[in-house]
Amino acid sequence: MRIPYEDRFSDLEPLLARVEKPSRYIDHEWGTLSSAEADYRACLIYPDVYEVGLPNQGLTILYNILNHQEGISCERAYLPWIDMADAMREANVPLLSLEGAAPLASFDVVGFHIPHEMACTNYPEALDLAGIPLFAKDRDEDDPLIIAGGPSVYNPEPVAAFFDAILIGEGEESLVEVCRTHQRLRDAGASRIEILRALALVPGTYVPALYEECHDGPCTEHGYVVPKQGEDVPSVVYKRVIADFSSTNPVPQTVMPYAQLVHDRLSVEVLRGCARGCRFCQAGITYRPVRERTPDQVVSAVMGGLKDTGYDEVSLTSLSTTDHSCCSQILARLNRRLADTGIRVSIPSQRLDSFGVDMALQVAGEKKGGLTFAPEAGSQRLRDVINKNVTENDLERATRAAFEAGWRRVKLYFMMGLPGERDEDIVAIANLADKTYELAREVVPKAQRGNVSVSISCSVFIPKAQTPFQWCAQTPDEEVKRRQQLLLASVRNRAVRVHYHDADTSLLEAVLSRGGRDITPLIVGAWKRGARFDAWTEQFDLSRWEDAAAELGIDLRAVASTPFDLDMRLPWEHVSPGVKRGFLEREYRKSLEGETTPDCTRTSCTGCGICPTIHASNVLVGERG
Amino acid sequence: MSDPNAQSLFRLRVRYRKTGRLAYLGHLEVIHTIERIVRRAGLPYAVTQGFSPHMRVGFSSALPVGTSSTCEWYDLFLTDLIPVPEAFERLHAASPADLAPDLAAYIDVKAPALTAQITRCEYRVMLHMAAAYESRGEAIAGIIDTLLSEGPIEYQRGRKFKKLDLAGTIASFDVAREDAKTMVLTLDTRVSNEGALRPEILLAALDRRLVGGPFASEPIVSTGIQDLISIERYDVCRISQHIEDENATLRPVLEVFDVPSRPVAATHVPSL
Repeated sequence: MRIPYEDRFSDLEPLLARVEKPSRYIDHEWGTLSSAEADYRACLIYPDVYEVGLPNQGLTILYNILNHQEGISCERAYLPWIDMADAMREANVPLLSLEGAAPLASFDVVGFHIPHEMACTNYPEALDLAGIPLFAKDRDEDDPLIIAGGPSVYNPEPVAAFFDAILIGEGEESLVEVCRTHQRLRDAGASRIEILRALALVPGTYVPALYEECHDGPCTEHGYVVPKQGEDVPSVVYKRVIADFSSTNPVPQTVMPYAQLVHDRLSVEVLRGCARGCRFCQAGITYRPVRERTPDQVVSAVMGGLKDTGYDEVSLTSLSTTDHSCCSQILARLNRRLADTGIRVSIPSQRLDSFGVDMALQVAGEKKGGLTFAPEAGSQRLRDVINKNVTENDLERATRAAFEAGWRRVKLYFMMGLPGERDEDIVAIANLADKTYELAREVVPKAQRGNVSVSISCSVFIPKAQTPFQWCAQTPDEEVKRRQQLLLASVRNRAVRVHYHDADTSLLEAVLSRGGRDITPLIVGAWKRGARFDAWTEQFDLSRWEDAAAELGIDLRAVASTPFDLDMRLPWEHVSPGVKRGFLEREYRKSLEGETTPDCTRTSCTGCGICPTIHASNVLVGERG
Repeated sequence: MSDPNAQSLFRLRVRYRKTGRLAYLGHLEVIHTIERIVRRAGLPYAVTQGFSPHMRVGFSSALPVGTSSTCEWYDLFLTDLIPVPEAFERLHAASPADLAPDLAAYIDVKAPALTAQITRCEYRVMLHMAAAYESRGEAIAGIIDTLLSEGPIEYQRGRKFKKLDLAGTIASFDVAREDAKTMVLTLDTRVSNEGALRPEILLAALDRRLVGGPFASEPIVSTGIQDLISIERYDVCRISQHIEDENATLRPVLEVFDVPSRPVAATHVPSL
């Protein structure tokens, strides 16, 4: 018997006195959409705390869509923070949904969002708290169907064993198809394995249990994944894309949080996809093709969304909003409409040229905080290697324009450990920052020079699946630490501040990005040693992972920094965003020559293969500049 | 926007409740929610001038996390005069039921801020006694009298050590038995720049005396909702706020007689 769907808030309420931020757990927000009565119940869970998970745009879209389906009710859940999780375990309260305060285990389907690799220990944490078996293979007829989807599914193997099905790509249509298929088979009394087999035939659905790891022929030590003998399932699961992006609801947000969120504002997705082709970037491949909304749709969505939600800020979201062919027009129209309301418009990142600064200026108003630019690499040579099509002149023009327009704080974002990086490239980062600071001293009036701040933020390159750098090794953490010291020593100006990411976290992120099914026991081992919320710097402790790895005989550093040969089958090639292997190989070879590839939304097709493979194409609403 | 002084402003004073699960909201969470309610209501709110423009709205003093209320207030500055019944209806339609407005009227734009005007607050505290302490309910009044005579209660809040001046903040109190398990403590308190009573500090001190032994001298830490021994669970509700005039007469925060007030209809947001 499945445990009953019932309101258990009275079990949770006594615990609210013992935890920080009780508003994470109380529900009753404005604008929730679930219904009390439903034939089929879904719960979507974000594997982090409420204030991180609620603003997630993907889950917001899916919550809205499912709740508009006849007979389906969709609720939300988030992972309780450690204080609450511990209190719930002590009091024997299982993980509950928000709206109905019902046990997750009582739902028909529980859908996990997979935001990034570092969320991995939170899946066993959530399942354990919910009283649901951690592994798909151990679940029986009474357990809910546990599915997953999100941006970080393009090497699903390290977490695949936790899920009955993983939805690859955009979920607007496929999640509904999966739920309806499940509902129909449930009503027909189908067994769990019959349901899984049927789900595997829904396009874009990867059912890990029907596949197995194989080590025949040239492959990495993690093997590769093929359909199990006798299973009639696709050998490659291609991602889904929504056929007509402009027909989707541009304002899916309805739930108004009480708690202050990480991103506490209205979000309107103005375009999807980015074709700039930075070779390290996974999103740049997996979100293609590029599809823009029209300015009319964006402006009316913003005005309507602000009125319905009461937010005082709207963010125009995408991977590169300033690339929208009508960005300038959209901002000008919004500024006119929102004058004197105290409502702010924001765009998530700046293009690295004077146009980017013009756009930043349009949304900045009187208050000019910091401006962040991402040259990614210090030297032109290395920027060509990674296909960051930005020159030193672009950067100078952009930062000059920013200082002239009144910004005083500029942050430069770089990656360290990029393929082919040499010491001179690290020194070039320092030189670029020094030059930017000197430029500021030249441009900014004397009286304001004290406010000038230039900082460098340097993360560690992580080779990601489905990118031209998927064969590359991560630079060993000891070497990363040496280069971080070299960077510190190379900055001449004491006013330039240097921040760099923790090499420990990056090491683990590489292991989780590159490994196969062999990494799952490592995740469970670390979780059993107390690892959870690993994306939170103060919660992350590499020693738990090292202990778990030692027990399993896994060498974390070897997994992160062993390069793969071009002729090897990789652990993730059975799921695909539609990109052709030949394109990734060609891009990889071009990177070795320092040869760049243009952006297909500004020139002609560069042959990545995604459009023909998944039957879609770029949709631009104007000319891109 | 043009010069704010050149513009005529209207000041709408609104009483609202904080009930049900929304008692668990913190003060900032309530403020943000009310601002969103005002924007959803589409009222022509005034905006401050300067670097980061924001809505002109002032609130009565903060209510701790876990404390409910029947009588919270805010003053909202509007740039157009919207008839009171209409403004009230629009706010009501845009509010979760547990933060709904109950009373509204325009007041003098130049009136002092709510926090300057309100000098008296009354709390009703329901004390659900732990099983072993049910019979000790009648001792509570005596303990509070003793605490009053002993001077300030010391407690820690964050990294700061503070003192609660009980004698200065409690104007009067009353303890009554509700049923076998439950005692009702009513606190009439004074609020001023010198301080206000945080009921949970008094409850923590009371708990230490009820339990006795070495626990009696255990330091008090203000953590929001207190986890107590002798009291299994407690609910604090602010039940009135008043302005005390120079003759020590208590006056209502809003002196109006013909105002919109109606039984609160359920919105689509459920209430406990």
